[in-house]
Amino acid sequence: MRLHLARLTALSVMILVGGCSRGPEKAPLEVEVAQAVGQKVAALRNRSEEVRPPPTRAQLDTVKSPYIEVTLERHDLLAYLRQEAVRRDGDPGQIVVWRTDDNVTLALRNGVLIATRGLGDDLLSASALVGNGASGPQRGGARSYHIRGLDNESRSLNLACDLQDLGAETIEIVALSYATRHLQQRCEGGEGAEAGVVVNDYWVDSVSGRLWQSRQWAGPTIGYLRIRQLTL
Amino acid sequence: MQRMAVRAVDSPVNMISKFSARLALAGWIAAVTCIGAAPALAQSEPFATQSTASAEEAPRFKRIPAPSLNFYGTSGLIDMPSAEMQPDGQWNTTVSWFAGQSRYNMTFQALPWLSATFRYNGIQTNGTPIDGFNTYYDRGFDVRARLWKEGRWRPAVTVGLQDFAGTGIYASEYIVATKGFDTPALTARGGPGRLKVTAGLGWGRLATHGAIGNIGGVRPGFVAGSSGGELSIDQWFRGDFAPFAGLEWQVDDRWGLKAEYSSDAYVTETGGPDVFERESSLNFGVEYEWTPRTRLGLYYLYGSEIGLSAQFQLNPKYSPTPMMVPAPIPVSPRSNWAPDPSDWSQDWARSEATVLKIRDQLAEALRQDGLILESLDINGTSAEIRFRNTRYRSYMLAVGRAARAASRTLPASVETFRLVPVRTGMGLSSTVLRRSDLEALEFAPDSTAAILAVTGFTDARPLSDQALQSGDLYPAFATSISPYSAPAYFDPDRPFRLDVGLDFAASYAPAPGWIFAGAIRQRLVGNVKDGRASNSALPHVRTDQVEYAQFGTTLENLYLARSWKPGENLYARATVGYFESMYGGLSSELLWKPVSSRLALGVEGNYVIQRDFDQRLGFRDYKTFTGHASAYYQLNNGFHAQVDVGRYLAGDYGATFSIDRVFANGWSVGGFFTKTDVSAEDFGEGSFDKGFRFRIPLDWMLGRPSRNAFGTTIRPVQRDGGQRVVVPGRLYGKIRDAHRASLEQQGATFWE
Repeated sequence: MRLHLARLTALSVMILVGGCSRGPEKAPLEVEVAQAVGQKVAALRNRSEEVRPPPTRAQLDTVKSPYIEVTLERHDLLAYLRQEAVRRDGDPGQIVVWRTDDNVTLALRNGVLIATRGLGDDLLSASALVGNGASGPQRGGARSYHIRGLDNESRSLNLACDLQDLGAETIEIVALSYATRHLQQRCEGGEGAEAGVVVNDYWVDSVSGRLWQSRQWAGPTIGYLRIRQLTL
Repeated sequence: MQRMAVRAVDSPVNMISKFSARLALAGWIAAVTCIGAAPALAQSEPFATQSTASAEEAPRFKRIPAPSLNFYGTSGLIDMPSAEMQPDGQWNTTVSWFAGQSRYNMTFQALPWLSATFRYNGIQTNGTPIDGFNTYYDRGFDVRARLWKEGRWRPAVTVGLQDFAGTGIYASEYIVATKGFDTPALTARGGPGRLKVTAGLGWGRLATHGAIGNIGGVRPGFVAGSSGGELSIDQWFRGDFAPFAGLEWQVDDRWGLKAEYSSDAYVTETGGPDVFERESSLNFGVEYEWTPRTRLGLYYLYGSEIGLSAQFQLNPKYSPTPMMVPAPIPVSPRSNWAPDPSDWSQDWARSEATVLKIRDQLAEALRQDGLILESLDINGTSAEIRFRNTRYRSYMLAVGRAARAASRTLPASVETFRLVPVRTGMGLSSTVLRRSDLEALEFAPDSTAAILAVTGFTDARPLSDQALQSGDLYPAFATSISPYSAPAYFDPDRPFRLDVGLDFAASYAPAPGWIFAGAIRQRLVGNVKDGRASNSALPHVRTDQVEYAQFGTTLENLYLARSWKPGENLYARATVGYFESMYGGLSSELLWKPVSSRLALGVEGNYVIQRDFDQRLGFRDYKTFTGHASAYYQLNNGFHAQVDVGRYLAGDYGATFSIDRVFANGWSVGGFFTKTDVSAEDFGEGSFDKGFRFRIPLDWMLGRPSRNAFGTTIRPVQRDGGQRVVVPGRLYGKIRDAHRASLEQQGATFWE
């Protein structure tokens, strides 16, 4: 009986510790499961409900590099992203890659969302309907989205978009006002049960053509993102 | 369709993904300390004039609703089947119980029109025992094929063979039709319902009550204790036939009501064994869909009994949490940092110090993505990068990360990348890319198709003499301590036994391709040792499991292995030592598999000696030669077929046929059978060796990269005929997922 108890103790220790591994080989399954469980528990414990005040313009003025603020509408979560890369390729528009510190990135082509990474079921790639001048979409037409889904597949969605200028609007981003034009892109498509409507909003500076804020769709799982330019 | 659409919004599946998104994004919020990180809710008011379009109106990849299951684990009513099929790839586990009869079923929807079921069942008797057992356990396989789909007016029609190869207590055949009709919503929230009407004709067991006709005279009945295993082709659709029918009304997206007329008289059960009284042919039930993966049911059967069922429905295509891989560092195009012609000079290649520095920078860049640089072979314009991938299931993802690492560390003049994943010293394949394509296509509208169109896949070349090996990789030493579990199934006295304990493993790799490894196993608790002793007429090559289980501290394995590439498209392995708990000896294998070929051919020869029961260093007297010639073929839709012909452990000659469906995310489900020159009598229960196997990837469950998976092989009966030795590191499984078909299937992960 005592032996039995000792074994049960050993067993529970084993389950708690879960094992360990060292060296350049793949860790055993059980070790990896134990690590994953441990991380989930730690993450649950460390969830702070602390509410910190939003940044003020005075604080933002001390920031010397470009940042955007992104809200994941579906989860009501918000993050600040720093500029990681700026480049051009053979297609019109300038590509900017923005990154969070926990390795989520968004790629925008002239402000139009063309890729996400690290969010799960990511937007793999998309066409943008942009020109080489002002930011935001420049015309209506066909827009293709390639979205990760199901069995490691790249699912393509071809949408027909039209672009509407909803006129001048003054927007405010953390105590600064900008005179913008509100562009609205309405895209329809998808086949059968997948059919649906996507509406993307863009607020483009009336003078400089810079995109100050937008609300854009990033795929069925991620949903809509709200993006604002906080600092330049 | 609409029904599911409404549900998907707040389903627990989404709750799980929400939850993990929160975890992943927790760091997001605390990220920007210089701004003084704001809370999630303080600022997230919608923009004043934004569109009201919601994600629910956007295109969505909708989940196909899964029909409910019956007591036999297939789509159906309560005790009767229907003609419905599960969504493609569905993997269902069902537990059902009534009147002391429990059935544990696993069903796999192998093709949209074909499903297979394995069942283990127990019947508790109150009167005379069945075949000497108070609780009679049995196993069986079913297969169902849909003849045609449901149309606007036409019902779906399915033919099924139930318990077609076992000892046949549930043996029956049927042809069944089902037609569904939409019904209006009862409440505003619940969504519309669906009424499904089913009618069919059954043979065998399903014709024991209310038979209306007969084909081919008297059909032999169930004989308990016969060895089973042989296909009972001469019985199928023979003898009496009887009608059955039923209704299923899915009231809304949660509740379902069922009623049926059963044509099963339960002749054996209601006779001498007195399992229960059958007082009516009508059964009724109510089912509740707790989550899209779980359905629970409560039933009233045969006018006398209460029944319960729990149905668990998984689909490889819908993971519990979407895979989240940390975002890659983008490609840095040379136009950004090498504007002058002098930046493109190849002079650096002449300085050994510079080249070594480049190698180390590349190794560091790969390490950030969890990859290990084995060697770099570089000249002025091209580079061959050999790396180890222990993190990502998808080799295409690893190749994509390696390509990006190379693009940001190698000098501008290097234009061609050859990316070679390496496993146990063997180059598995070579992905050839132009750096300019990498730079041009990263943000192309269809970047996946674009990069695949300009990527070449070839055999990995022999390692060149100029290649720079990574400095500190060999000799490599690795250790691990991990729990293990070793189950034993289907002993009639106790259907499930389990040993658990700890494995202490270590490996030493003195040079690429060489490994010296071993594991010591310490059992902590377990009852496998209380199992049945072998009654096999053949040499006891596998049935002495109980003898081996008497010892708690054992040497699980200890071996020296070398793997190498003897030539183009060829892979080889030689292993000597203690391979597994029961055998040690000498093993060698040669495999031919061109990178772009669907076909692979291999030969393996093993001289093995049976190990002592105590599993230390000693051996028993039994020695044999066992070896096979194997052909592997990749069919479409992820199906992999394999045929092995040769000599098995008991000295029997024959062939093993197996087929597996492998999903891109690493799920796999398959079955196999082996026919050898051992007669059914000598083989014993089951007549020949057969079973099924499955593997569920850890990364699919956790939503983060891993190469580990849960899996097992289940045989209805473990006997001695048609058995093979288990040698660590067999070649085909090691190389296949780095070859062209797999890389292209994983194409979407290149840029991920």
